[in-house]
Amino acid sequence: MATPAELLDDVVEGIDDLFLFSPNTSYYERFADVDAEVVVVAPENAVGADNYVELPLSFRDVESRVRFGVEGALDQNLVGDGDVVACSLATFEGDPDTVVRVRVSESMRSGVYDLFVNSRADPGVIRDVFEVAIELGKKGQKGKPVGALFVVGDAGKVMNKSRPLSYNPFEKSHVHVGDPIVNVMLKEFSRLDGAFVISDSGKIVSAYRYLEPSAEGVDMPKGLGARHMAGGAITRDTNATAIVLSESDGLVRAFKGGDMILEIDPEDY
Amino acid sequence: MNPTIGRSEAHSVGPPVGGPAVDPVAGTGVSGGGGAVPLQSVVEDVLLAVPPWVWVAAAVLVFGLVLGYLTGMIVRRLLVRVGVPGAIEGTAFERTARSLGSSTVDIVAKLAAYFIYGVSVLAALSVARVSVADRFWNEVAALLPQLFVALFVLILGVVVGDKAELVIAERLRAIKVPQIGVLPRIAKYSIIYIAILIALSQVGVATLALVVLLAGYLAAVIFLGGLAFHSMLASGAAGVYLLLNQPYGIGDEVRIGDRSGVVQEVDLFVTRIEADGEEFIVPNRSVFDEGVSKRR
Repeated sequence: MATPAELLDDVVEGIDDLFLFSPNTSYYERFADVDAEVVVVAPENAVGADNYVELPLSFRDVESRVRFGVEGALDQNLVGDGDVVACSLATFEGDPDTVVRVRVSESMRSGVYDLFVNSRADPGVIRDVFEVAIELGKKGQKGKPVGALFVVGDAGKVMNKSRPLSYNPFEKSHVHVGDPIVNVMLKEFSRLDGAFVISDSGKIVSAYRYLEPSAEGVDMPKGLGARHMAGGAITRDTNATAIVLSESDGLVRAFKGGDMILEIDPEDY
Repeated sequence: MNPTIGRSEAHSVGPPVGGPAVDPVAGTGVSGGGGAVPLQSVVEDVLLAVPPWVWVAAAVLVFGLVLGYLTGMIVRRLLVRVGVPGAIEGTAFERTARSLGSSTVDIVAKLAAYFIYGVSVLAALSVARVSVADRFWNEVAALLPQLFVALFVLILGVVVGDKAELVIAERLRAIKVPQIGVLPRIAKYSIIYIAILIALSQVGVATLALVVLLAGYLAAVIFLGGLAFHSMLASGAAGVYLLLNQPYGIGDEVRIGDRSGVVQEVDLFVTRIEADGEEFIVPNRSVFDEGVSKRR
Protein backbone atom coordinates (compact mmCIF):
# COMPACT_ATOMS: atom_id res chain seq x y z
CA MET A 1 0.00 0.00 0.00
CA ALA A 2 1.68 3.21 -1.13
CA THR A 3 1.05 6.46 0.68
CA PRO A 4 1.13 9.87 -0.98
CA ALA A 5 4.19 10.81 1.08
CA GLU A 6 6.21 8.30 -0.91
CA LEU A 7 5.86 10.55 -3.93
CA LEU A 8 8.18 12.95 -2.20
CA ASP A 9 10.43 10.22 -0.83
CA ASP A 10 11.60 9.44 -4.33
CA VAL A 11 12.20 13.11 -5.11
CA VAL A 12 14.29 13.83 -2.05
CA GLU A 13 16.12 10.50 -1.86
CA GLY A 14 19.89 10.74 -1.75
CA ILE A 15 20.11 14.49 -2.10
CA ASP A 16 23.35 16.30 -1.31
CA ASP A 17 21.86 19.72 -0.72
CA LEU A 18 18.53 21.16 0.27
CA PHE A 19 17.63 24.60 -1.10
CA LEU A 20 14.97 26.50 0.81
CA PHE A 21 13.55 29.41 -1.17
CA SER A 22 12.41 32.32 1.01
CA PRO A 23 11.71 30.20 4.12
CA ASN A 24 10.27 31.73 7.25
CA THR A 25 12.19 31.27 10.46
CA SER A 26 10.30 28.30 11.88
CA TYR A 27 10.36 26.55 8.51
CA TYR A 28 14.10 27.08 8.29
CA GLU A 29 14.73 25.86 11.81
CA ARG A 30 12.73 22.71 11.17
CA PHE A 31 14.99 21.73 8.32
CA ALA A 32 18.24 23.37 9.44
CA ASP A 33 19.74 20.10 10.64
CA VAL A 34 18.58 17.63 8.00
CA ASP A 35 21.11 15.21 6.61
CA ALA A 36 22.12 17.50 3.74
CA GLU A 37 23.66 20.91 3.31
CA VAL A 38 20.94 23.53 3.66
CA VAL A 39 21.12 26.64 1.47
CA VAL A 40 18.70 29.53 1.82
CA VAL A 41 17.80 31.42 -1.35
CA ALA A 42 15.87 34.58 -0.59
CA PRO A 43 15.77 38.32 -1.28
CA GLU A 44 17.33 38.86 2.14
CA ASN A 45 18.87 36.62 4.75
CA ALA A 46 16.13 37.08 7.34
CA VAL A 47 16.74 33.71 9.00
CA GLY A 48 20.47 34.27 9.46
CA ALA A 49 21.49 31.17 7.54
CA ASP A 50 25.18 30.40 7.01
CA ASN A 51 24.68 29.34 3.41
CA TYR A 52 22.78 32.06 1.69
CA VAL A 53 22.21 33.07 -1.93
CA GLU A 54 20.63 36.42 -2.60
CA LEU A 55 17.67 36.40 -4.95
CA PRO A 56 17.63 39.88 -6.47
CA LEU A 57 14.57 39.54 -8.68
CA SER A 58 11.33 37.82 -7.80
CA PHE A 59 11.46 35.32 -10.64
CA ARG A 60 7.95 34.11 -11.03
CA ASP A 61 8.56 30.94 -12.96
CA VAL A 62 10.05 28.09 -10.98
CA GLU A 63 12.73 27.19 -13.48
CA SER A 64 14.47 30.58 -13.51
CA ARG A 65 14.29 30.75 -9.75
CA VAL A 66 15.87 27.32 -9.34
CA ARG A 67 18.47 28.08 -11.98
CA PHE A 68 19.39 31.33 -10.29
CA GLY A 69 19.68 29.66 -6.89
CA VAL A 70 21.82 26.84 -8.24
CA GLU A 71 24.03 29.24 -10.13
CA GLY A 72 24.53 31.40 -7.07
CA ALA A 73 25.39 28.35 -4.97
CA LEU A 74 27.81 27.17 -7.67
CA ASP A 75 29.43 30.58 -7.66
CA GLN A 76 29.93 30.47 -3.91
CA ASN A 77 31.14 26.86 -4.09
CA LEU A 78 28.27 25.72 -1.91
CA VAL A 79 27.49 22.97 -4.40
CA GLY A 80 29.64 21.19 -6.93
CA ASP A 81 29.25 19.64 -10.37
CA GLY A 82 27.13 16.51 -10.14
CA ASP A 83 25.46 17.29 -6.80
CA VAL A 84 21.80 16.42 -6.46
CA VAL A 85 19.75 19.24 -5.04
CA ALA A 86 16.20 19.32 -3.73
CA CYS A 87 14.57 22.73 -3.82
CA SER A 88 11.56 23.62 -1.70
CA LEU A 89 9.75 26.65 -3.06
CA ALA A 90 6.38 28.19 -3.69
CA THR A 91 5.02 27.93 -7.22
CA PHE A 92 1.98 29.89 -6.20
CA GLU A 93 1.91 32.72 -3.70
CA GLY A 94 2.49 31.89 -0.07
CA ASP A 95 3.95 28.86 1.64
CA PRO A 96 6.28 26.41 -0.06
CA ASP A 97 4.21 23.99 -2.13
CA THR A 98 6.73 22.47 -4.52
CA VAL A 99 9.79 20.28 -4.27
CA VAL A 100 12.07 20.11 -7.28
CA ARG A 101 14.99 17.74 -7.81
CA VAL A 102 17.90 19.07 -9.86
CA ARG A 103 21.26 17.70 -10.79
CA VAL A 104 23.86 20.46 -10.78
CA SER A 105 26.14 20.75 -13.76
CA GLU A 106 28.69 23.36 -14.70
CA SER A 107 26.68 24.12 -17.83
CA MET A 108 24.06 25.73 -15.62
CA ARG A 109 26.30 28.76 -15.27
CA SER A 110 24.66 31.33 -17.52
CA GLY A 111 26.16 34.45 -15.96
CA VAL A 112 22.88 35.71 -14.54
CA TYR A 113 24.10 35.43 -10.98
CA ASP A 114 27.39 36.92 -12.03
CA LEU A 115 25.49 39.81 -13.61
CA PHE A 116 23.96 40.81 -10.32
CA VAL A 117 26.64 39.96 -7.83
CA ASN A 118 29.95 40.51 -9.60
CA SER A 119 29.11 43.60 -11.60
CA ARG A 120 30.93 46.81 -10.96
CA ALA A 121 27.77 48.50 -9.79
CA ASP A 122 26.11 47.55 -6.51
CA PRO A 123 23.78 44.54 -6.79
CA GLY A 124 20.96 46.64 -5.39
CA VAL A 125 21.45 49.24 -8.10
CA ILE A 126 21.31 46.67 -10.88
CA ARG A 127 18.18 45.25 -9.31
CA ASP A 128 16.58 48.67 -9.08
CA VAL A 129 17.36 49.42 -12.72
CA PHE A 130 15.90 46.06 -13.69
CA GLU A 131 12.77 46.89 -11.78
CA VAL A 132 12.47 50.25 -13.49
CA ALA A 133 12.97 48.64 -16.90
CA ILE A 134 10.43 45.93 -16.13
CA GLU A 135 7.93 48.50 -14.91
CA LEU A 136 8.51 50.58 -18.01
CA GLY A 137 8.08 47.51 -20.22
CA LYS A 138 4.82 46.57 -18.55
CA LYS A 139 3.15 49.94 -18.65
CA GLY A 140 4.89 51.77 -21.47
CA GLN A 141 4.52 55.48 -21.95
CA LYS A 142 0.82 56.34 -22.04
CA GLY A 143 0.06 52.80 -23.15
CA LYS A 144 2.48 52.86 -26.05
CA PRO A 145 5.50 50.59 -25.87
CA VAL A 146 8.73 52.43 -25.19
CA GLY A 147 12.36 51.52 -25.48
CA ALA A 148 15.05 52.49 -23.06
CA LEU A 149 18.75 51.96 -22.57
CA PHE A 150 20.37 52.08 -19.15
CA VAL A 151 24.13 51.87 -18.77
CA VAL A 152 24.93 51.02 -15.17
CA GLY A 153 28.32 51.32 -13.52
CA ASP A 154 31.73 52.62 -14.57
CA ALA A 155 30.01 55.91 -15.27
CA GLY A 156 33.21 57.95 -15.61
CA LYS A 157 34.42 55.86 -18.50
CA VAL A 158 30.99 55.65 -20.08
CA MET A 159 30.69 59.43 -19.97
CA ASN A 160 34.01 59.71 -21.77
CA LYS A 161 32.88 57.29 -24.44
CA SER A 162 29.67 59.11 -25.16
CA ARG A 163 28.49 62.59 -26.00
CA PRO A 164 25.40 64.58 -25.09
CA LEU A 165 22.55 64.78 -27.56
CA SER A 166 21.08 67.72 -25.73
CA TYR A 167 21.19 69.37 -22.32
CA ASN A 168 21.41 66.85 -19.54
CA PRO A 169 18.21 67.01 -17.45
CA PHE A 170 19.99 65.36 -14.52
CA GLU A 171 22.81 67.90 -14.36
CA LYS A 172 23.47 69.08 -10.81
CA SER A 173 20.74 66.83 -9.51
CA HIS A 174 21.16 64.06 -6.98
CA VAL A 175 18.64 61.53 -8.14
CA HIS A 176 19.28 57.87 -7.42
CA VAL A 177 17.53 54.88 -8.92
CA GLY A 178 15.39 53.40 -6.19
CA ASP A 179 14.17 56.80 -5.05
CA PRO A 180 10.38 56.66 -5.04
CA ILE A 181 9.89 59.38 -7.64
CA VAL A 182 12.34 57.87 -10.11
CA ASN A 183 9.94 55.47 -11.82
CA VAL A 184 7.70 58.31 -12.88
CA MET A 185 10.61 60.52 -13.80
CA LEU A 186 12.31 57.92 -15.96
CA LYS A 187 9.01 57.13 -17.61
CA GLU A 188 8.71 60.74 -18.63
CA PHE A 189 12.32 60.93 -19.79
CA SER A 190 12.14 57.64 -21.67
CA ARG A 191 10.67 59.49 -24.64
CA LEU A 192 14.02 61.20 -24.99
CA ASP A 193 16.45 59.59 -27.34
CA GLY A 194 19.75 58.22 -26.10
CA ALA A 195 20.95 56.36 -23.05
CA PHE A 196 20.66 56.85 -19.30
CA VAL A 197 23.99 56.69 -17.54
CA ILE A 198 23.91 55.48 -13.94
CA SER A 199 26.88 55.38 -11.59
CA ASP A 200 28.09 52.50 -9.42
CA SER A 201 26.19 53.77 -6.42
CA GLY A 202 22.98 54.36 -8.38
CA LYS A 203 23.16 58.09 -9.09
CA ILE A 204 21.60 59.01 -12.40
CA VAL A 205 24.45 60.85 -14.02
CA SER A 206 22.92 61.75 -17.34
CA ALA A 207 20.15 61.15 -19.81
CA TYR A 208 20.27 61.95 -23.51
CA ARG A 209 23.68 60.34 -24.04
CA TYR A 210 24.77 59.15 -27.43
CA LEU A 211 27.08 56.19 -26.88
CA GLU A 212 30.16 55.98 -29.05
CA PRO A 213 31.80 52.66 -28.35
CA SER A 214 33.63 50.77 -31.02
CA ALA A 215 31.20 48.07 -32.07
CA GLU A 216 33.97 45.96 -33.46
CA GLY A 217 33.67 42.29 -32.66
CA VAL A 218 30.44 42.55 -30.73
CA ASP A 219 28.44 39.39 -31.17
CA MET A 220 24.81 40.39 -31.20
CA PRO A 221 21.82 38.20 -32.03
CA LYS A 222 20.62 39.24 -35.46
CA GLY A 223 17.48 41.25 -35.56
CA LEU A 224 18.19 43.47 -32.58
CA GLY A 225 18.37 47.15 -33.37
CA ALA A 226 20.74 50.03 -32.84
CA ARG A 227 19.80 50.45 -29.18
CA HIS A 228 20.84 46.91 -28.32
CA MET A 229 23.95 47.20 -30.42
CA ALA A 230 25.01 50.38 -28.65
CA GLY A 231 24.23 48.86 -25.25
CA GLY A 232 26.10 45.66 -25.98
CA ALA A 233 29.09 47.46 -27.43
CA ILE A 234 29.54 49.90 -24.53
CA THR A 235 29.78 46.97 -22.11
CA ARG A 236 32.63 45.57 -24.14
CA ASP A 237 34.56 48.83 -24.00
CA THR A 238 33.89 49.53 -20.33
CA ASN A 239 33.08 47.58 -17.18
CA ALA A 240 29.51 48.75 -17.29
CA THR A 241 26.36 46.65 -17.49
CA ALA A 242 23.71 47.61 -20.03
CA ILE A 243 20.05 46.97 -19.43
CA VAL A 244 17.95 47.46 -22.54
CA LEU A 245 14.20 47.57 -22.91
CA SER A 246 13.24 46.78 -26.49
CA GLU A 247 10.58 48.95 -28.06
CA SER A 248 9.65 46.36 -30.67
CA ASP A 249 9.25 43.17 -28.63
CA GLY A 250 9.04 44.59 -25.11
CA LEU A 251 11.72 42.30 -23.67
CA VAL A 252 14.33 43.41 -21.17
CA ARG A 253 17.85 42.29 -21.98
CA ALA A 254 21.04 42.64 -20.04
CA PHE A 255 24.51 42.88 -21.51
CA LYS A 256 27.88 42.50 -19.88
CA GLY A 257 31.28 42.27 -21.47
CA GLY A 258 29.65 42.56 -24.87
CA ASP A 259 27.52 39.44 -24.39
CA MET A 260 23.82 39.14 -23.82
CA ILE A 261 23.45 37.57 -20.37
CA LEU A 262 19.78 37.68 -19.60
CA GLU A 263 16.55 38.08 -21.50
CA ILE A 264 13.31 38.42 -19.61
CA ASP A 265 9.73 39.26 -20.42
CA PRO A 266 8.39 42.05 -18.17
CA GLU A 267 4.99 40.38 -18.19
CA ASP A 268 6.44 37.48 -16.18
CA TYR A 269 7.23 39.58 -13.10
CA MET B 1 -10.60 79.96 63.12
CA ASN B 2 -12.65 83.05 62.47
CA PRO B 3 -14.01 82.14 59.04
CA THR B 4 -15.10 78.76 60.33
CA ILE B 5 -17.17 80.41 62.99
CA GLY B 6 -18.66 82.72 60.43
CA ARG B 7 -19.66 79.78 58.33
CA SER B 8 -21.23 77.91 61.19
CA GLU B 9 -23.27 80.99 62.00
CA ALA B 10 -24.48 81.19 58.46
CA HIS B 11 -25.30 77.53 58.75
CA SER B 12 -27.26 77.95 61.92
CA VAL B 13 -29.28 80.64 60.21
CA GLY B 14 -29.94 78.15 57.46
CA PRO B 15 -32.49 75.74 59.00
CA PRO B 16 -35.36 78.20 59.39
CA VAL B 17 -34.94 79.19 55.74
CA GLY B 18 -34.50 75.63 54.51
CA GLY B 19 -37.15 74.02 56.70
CA PRO B 20 -40.33 75.38 55.12
CA ALA B 21 -38.96 74.84 51.67
CA VAL B 22 -38.50 71.12 52.24
CA ASP B 23 -41.80 70.60 54.05
CA PRO B 24 -44.14 70.53 51.05
CA VAL B 25 -41.90 67.99 49.38
CA ALA B 26 -42.15 65.77 52.40
CA GLY B 27 -45.88 66.19 52.45
CA THR B 28 -46.38 65.09 48.86
CA GLY B 29 -43.60 62.51 48.82
CA VAL B 30 -44.39 60.48 51.92
CA SER B 31 -48.09 61.00 52.38
CA GLY B 32 -49.19 57.85 54.29
CA GLY B 33 -46.98 56.93 57.27
CA GLY B 34 -47.16 59.02 60.44
CA GLY B 35 -43.69 57.79 61.40
CA ALA B 36 -42.26 59.17 58.16
CA VAL B 37 -42.28 62.70 59.47
CA PRO B 38 -39.78 62.11 62.27
CA LEU B 39 -37.59 60.14 59.85
CA GLN B 40 -37.82 62.93 57.36
CA SER B 41 -36.81 65.46 59.91
CA VAL B 42 -33.93 63.25 61.02
CA VAL B 43 -32.65 63.07 57.47
CA GLU B 44 -33.14 66.77 57.16
CA ASP B 45 -31.28 67.40 60.36
CA VAL B 46 -28.43 65.22 59.25
CA LEU B 47 -28.30 66.91 55.86
CA LEU B 48 -28.39 70.31 57.44
CA ALA B 49 -25.85 69.35 60.06
CA VAL B 50 -23.34 68.80 57.27
CA PRO B 51 -21.70 72.15 56.66
CA PRO B 52 -22.18 73.56 53.14
CA TRP B 53 -18.47 73.67 52.33
CA VAL B 54 -18.51 69.90 52.54
CA TRP B 55 -20.98 69.98 49.67
CA VAL B 56 -18.67 72.31 47.80
CA ALA B 57 -15.80 69.96 48.52
CA ALA B 58 -17.83 67.01 47.26
CA ALA B 59 -18.70 68.97 44.12
CA VAL B 60 -15.04 69.79 43.60
CA LEU B 61 -14.20 66.13 44.08
CA VAL B 62 -16.81 64.98 41.58
CA PHE B 63 -15.75 67.66 39.14
CA GLY B 64 -12.15 66.57 39.61
CA LEU B 65 -13.03 62.93 39.00
CA VAL B 66 -14.90 63.77 35.80
CA LEU B 67 -12.15 66.11 34.65
CA GLY B 68 -9.51 63.49 35.43
CA TYR B 69 -11.38 60.83 33.52
CA LEU B 70 -11.85 63.16 30.55
CA THR B 71 -8.20 64.20 30.65
CA GLY B 72 -7.12 60.58 30.64
CA MET B 73 -9.33 59.89 27.66
CA ILE B 74 -8.19 62.99 25.75
CA VAL B 75 -4.53 62.28 26.45
CA ARG B 76 -4.97 58.73 25.20
CA ARG B 77 -6.75 59.86 22.03
CA LEU B 78 -4.15 62.54 21.44
CA LEU B 79 -1.25 60.15 21.83
CA VAL B 80 -2.86 57.62 19.52
CA ARG B 81 -3.66 60.33 16.97
CA VAL B 82 -0.09 61.62 17.03
CA GLY B 83 1.06 58.07 16.30
CA VAL B 84 2.84 57.35 19.54
CA PRO B 85 1.91 53.63 19.69
CA GLY B 86 3.46 53.06 16.26
CA ALA B 87 6.56 55.07 17.10
CA ILE B 88 7.32 53.23 20.30
CA GLU B 89 6.39 49.78 19.12
CA GLY B 90 8.99 47.20 20.02
CA THR B 91 10.70 49.22 22.76
CA ALA B 92 11.45 47.36 25.96
CA PHE B 93 9.20 49.62 28.03
CA GLU B 94 6.27 49.07 25.72
CA ARG B 95 6.86 45.34 25.73
CA THR B 96 6.98 45.25 29.52
CA ALA B 97 3.80 47.30 29.67
CA ARG B 98 2.18 44.89 27.19
CA SER B 99 3.15 41.88 29.22
CA LEU B 100 1.47 43.50 32.21
CA GLY B 101 -1.71 43.86 30.15
CA SER B 102 -1.27 47.59 29.66
CA SER B 103 0.50 49.88 27.24
CA THR B 104 2.67 52.98 27.43
CA VAL B 105 -0.14 55.17 26.16
CA ASP B 106 -2.41 53.66 28.78
CA ILE B 107 0.07 54.34 31.56
CA VAL B 108 0.67 57.94 30.50
CA ALA B 109 -3.06 58.58 30.17
CA LYS B 110 -3.68 57.05 33.58
CA LEU B 111 -0.89 59.15 35.09
CA ALA B 112 -2.48 62.29 33.70
CA ALA B 113 -5.84 61.22 35.10
CA TYR B 114 -4.36 60.40 38.52
CA PHE B 115 -2.65 63.75 38.58
CA ILE B 116 -5.99 65.50 38.16
CA TYR B 117 -7.57 63.18 40.74
CA GLY B 118 -4.82 64.00 43.21
CA VAL B 119 -5.14 67.73 42.62
CA SER B 120 -8.91 67.57 42.99
CA VAL B 121 -8.63 65.58 46.21
CA LEU B 122 -6.26 68.20 47.59
CA ALA B 123 -8.54 70.98 46.42
CA ALA B 124 -11.50 69.26 48.03
CA LEU B 125 -9.61 68.85 51.26
CA SER B 126 -8.67 72.50 51.34
CA VAL B 127 -12.24 73.55 50.54
CA ALA B 128 -13.50 71.25 53.25
CA ARG B 129 -11.06 72.94 55.61
CA VAL B 130 -9.56 69.79 56.96
CA SER B 131 -7.06 71.34 59.24
CA VAL B 132 -5.34 68.10 60.07
CA ALA B 133 -1.67 68.34 59.25
CA ASP B 134 -2.19 71.47 57.23
CA ARG B 135 1.45 71.97 56.52
CA PHE B 136 1.83 68.39 55.43
CA TRP B 137 -0.89 68.78 52.83
CA ASN B 138 0.56 72.05 51.67
CA GLU B 139 3.87 70.38 51.06
CA VAL B 140 2.19 67.50 49.29
CA ALA B 141 0.32 69.98 47.10
CA ALA B 142 3.59 71.67 46.23
CA LEU B 143 5.33 68.40 45.55
CA LEU B 144 2.58 66.70 43.57
CA PRO B 145 3.03 68.43 40.20
CA GLN B 146 6.78 67.99 40.42
CA LEU B 147 6.38 64.33 41.21
CA PHE B 148 4.15 63.81 38.21
CA VAL B 149 6.44 65.77 35.90
CA ALA B 150 9.31 63.66 37.18
CA LEU B 151 7.37 60.49 36.44
CA PHE B 152 6.49 61.73 32.95
CA VAL B 153 10.10 62.63 32.25
CA LEU B 154 11.18 59.22 33.48
CA ILE B 155 8.73 57.38 31.24
CA LEU B 156 9.61 59.63 28.32
CA GLY B 157 13.31 59.04 28.91
CA VAL B 158 12.94 55.27 29.08
CA VAL B 159 10.77 55.14 25.97
CA VAL B 160 12.96 57.52 23.96
CA GLY B 161 16.06 55.65 25.10
CA ASP B 162 14.57 52.34 23.99
CA LYS B 163 13.56 53.84 20.68
CA ALA B 164 17.00 55.35 20.13
CA GLU B 165 18.55 51.96 20.81
CA LEU B 166 16.25 50.32 18.26
CA VAL B 167 16.84 52.95 15.59
CA ILE B 168 20.60 52.95 15.99
CA ALA B 169 20.73 49.16 16.03
CA GLU B 170 18.66 49.12 12.83
CA ARG B 171 21.05 51.60 11.26
CA LEU B 172 24.11 49.60 12.23
CA ARG B 173 22.72 46.23 11.24
CA ALA B 174 24.53 46.31 7.91
CA ILE B 175 27.84 46.50 9.77
CA LYS B 176 28.40 42.96 10.90
CA VAL B 177 30.77 43.56 13.79
CA PRO B 178 29.57 42.11 17.10
CA GLN B 179 31.23 44.86 19.16
CA ILE B 180 29.15 47.50 17.42
CA GLY B 181 26.20 46.31 19.53
CA VAL B 182 27.53 48.37 22.41
CA LEU B 183 26.84 51.68 20.65
CA PRO B 184 23.02 51.54 20.71
CA ARG B 185 23.16 50.53 24.35
CA ILE B 186 25.40 53.49 25.23
CA ALA B 187 22.95 55.84 23.50
CA LYS B 188 20.04 54.27 25.37
CA TYR B 189 21.59 54.53 28.79
CA SER B 190 22.82 58.07 28.15
CA ILE B 191 19.26 59.17 27.42
CA ILE B 192 17.86 57.33 30.43
CA TYR B 193 20.57 58.81 32.62
CA ILE B 194 19.68 62.33 31.55
CA ALA B 195 15.99 61.57 32.10
CA ILE B 196 16.71 60.33 35.61
CA LEU B 197 18.76 63.46 36.29
CA ILE B 198 15.91 65.71 35.16
CA ALA B 199 13.40 63.67 37.15
CA LEU B 200 15.50 63.78 40.32
CA SER B 201 16.11 67.52 40.07
CA GLN B 202 12.36 67.97 39.56
CA VAL B 203 11.68 66.27 42.85
CA GLY B 204 14.44 68.29 44.46
CA VAL B 205 16.98 65.60 45.18
CA ALA B 206 20.54 66.90 45.18
CA THR B 207 21.98 65.86 41.81
CA LEU B 208 25.15 67.88 41.69
CA ALA B 209 27.43 64.85 41.70
CA LEU B 210 25.44 63.23 38.90
CA VAL B 211 25.52 66.47 36.89
CA VAL B 212 29.28 66.63 37.28
CA LEU B 213 29.48 63.05 36.11
CA LEU B 214 27.31 63.88 33.11
CA ALA B 215 29.42 66.89 32.26
CA GLY B 216 32.56 64.80 32.42
CA TYR B 217 30.99 62.16 30.21
CA LEU B 218 29.75 64.71 27.68
CA ALA B 219 33.10 66.46 27.58
CA ALA B 220 34.77 63.14 26.91
CA VAL B 221 32.30 62.27 24.17
CA ILE B 222 32.61 65.64 22.49
CA PHE B 223 36.37 65.85 22.83
CA LEU B 224 37.11 62.27 21.78
CA GLY B 225 34.39 62.33 19.13
CA GLY B 226 35.80 65.54 17.72
CA LEU B 227 39.26 64.04 17.75
CA ALA B 228 38.08 60.82 16.11
CA PHE B 229 35.78 62.35 13.54
CA HIS B 230 37.53 65.59 12.81
CA SER B 231 38.87 64.55 9.43
CA MET B 232 35.53 62.99 8.53
CA LEU B 233 33.74 66.17 9.53
CA ALA B 234 36.15 68.22 7.46
CA SER B 235 35.57 65.90 4.50
CA GLY B 236 31.83 66.06 5.03
CA ALA B 237 31.86 69.85 5.05
CA ALA B 238 33.91 69.89 1.87
CA GLY B 239 31.61 67.24 0.40
CA VAL B 240 28.57 69.43 0.95
CA TYR B 241 30.18 72.12 -1.16
CA LEU B 242 31.25 69.64 -3.84
CA LEU B 243 27.75 68.13 -4.06
CA LEU B 244 26.01 71.47 -4.14
CA ASN B 245 28.23 73.26 -6.62
CA GLN B 246 29.65 70.32 -8.51
CA PRO B 247 32.89 71.92 -9.63
CA TYR B 248 33.64 68.57 -11.20
CA GLY B 249 31.27 65.73 -12.05
CA ILE B 250 31.30 62.08 -12.97
CA GLY B 251 33.30 61.60 -16.16
CA ASP B 252 35.59 64.62 -15.74
CA GLU B 253 39.32 64.10 -15.81
CA VAL B 254 40.83 65.66 -12.72
CA ARG B 255 44.01 65.78 -10.72
CA ILE B 256 43.89 66.08 -6.95
CA GLY B 257 47.38 66.32 -5.49
CA ASP B 258 49.40 63.70 -7.28
CA ARG B 259 46.45 61.50 -8.11
CA SER B 260 44.80 61.94 -11.45
CA GLY B 261 42.15 60.10 -13.39
CA VAL B 262 38.49 60.02 -14.32
CA VAL B 263 35.94 60.84 -11.63
CA GLN B 264 33.72 57.83 -11.03
CA GLU B 265 31.74 58.87 -8.00
CA VAL B 266 31.38 61.84 -5.66
CA ASP B 267 29.73 61.38 -2.31
CA LEU B 268 29.67 63.29 0.94
CA PHE B 269 33.02 62.07 2.22
CA VAL B 270 35.10 60.82 -0.67
CA THR B 271 35.67 61.21 -4.38
CA ARG B 272 36.53 58.11 -6.35
CA ILE B 273 38.99 58.67 -9.15
CA GLU B 274 39.98 55.95 -11.55
CA ALA B 275 43.11 55.84 -13.64
CA ASP B 276 44.40 52.90 -15.66
CA GLY B 277 44.05 49.94 -13.37
CA GLU B 278 44.06 52.11 -10.24
CA GLU B 279 41.23 53.55 -8.26
CA PHE B 280 41.92 56.35 -5.81
CA ILE B 281 39.50 57.04 -3.00
CA VAL B 282 40.30 60.64 -2.13
CA PRO B 283 38.84 62.22 1.01
CA ASN B 284 37.03 65.40 0.07
CA ARG B 285 39.02 67.54 2.46
CA SER B 286 42.12 67.02 0.35
CA VAL B 287 40.21 68.62 -2.51
CA PHE B 288 40.22 71.76 -0.39
CA ASP B 289 43.71 71.26 0.97
CA GLU B 290 45.35 70.67 -2.36
CA GLY B 291 42.87 71.96 -4.91
CA VAL B 292 41.67 70.28 -8.04
CA SER B 293 42.85 70.72 -11.55
CA LYS B 294 40.47 69.76 -14.29
CA ARG B 295 41.80 68.63 -17.63
CA ARG B 296 40.05 69.67 -20.76
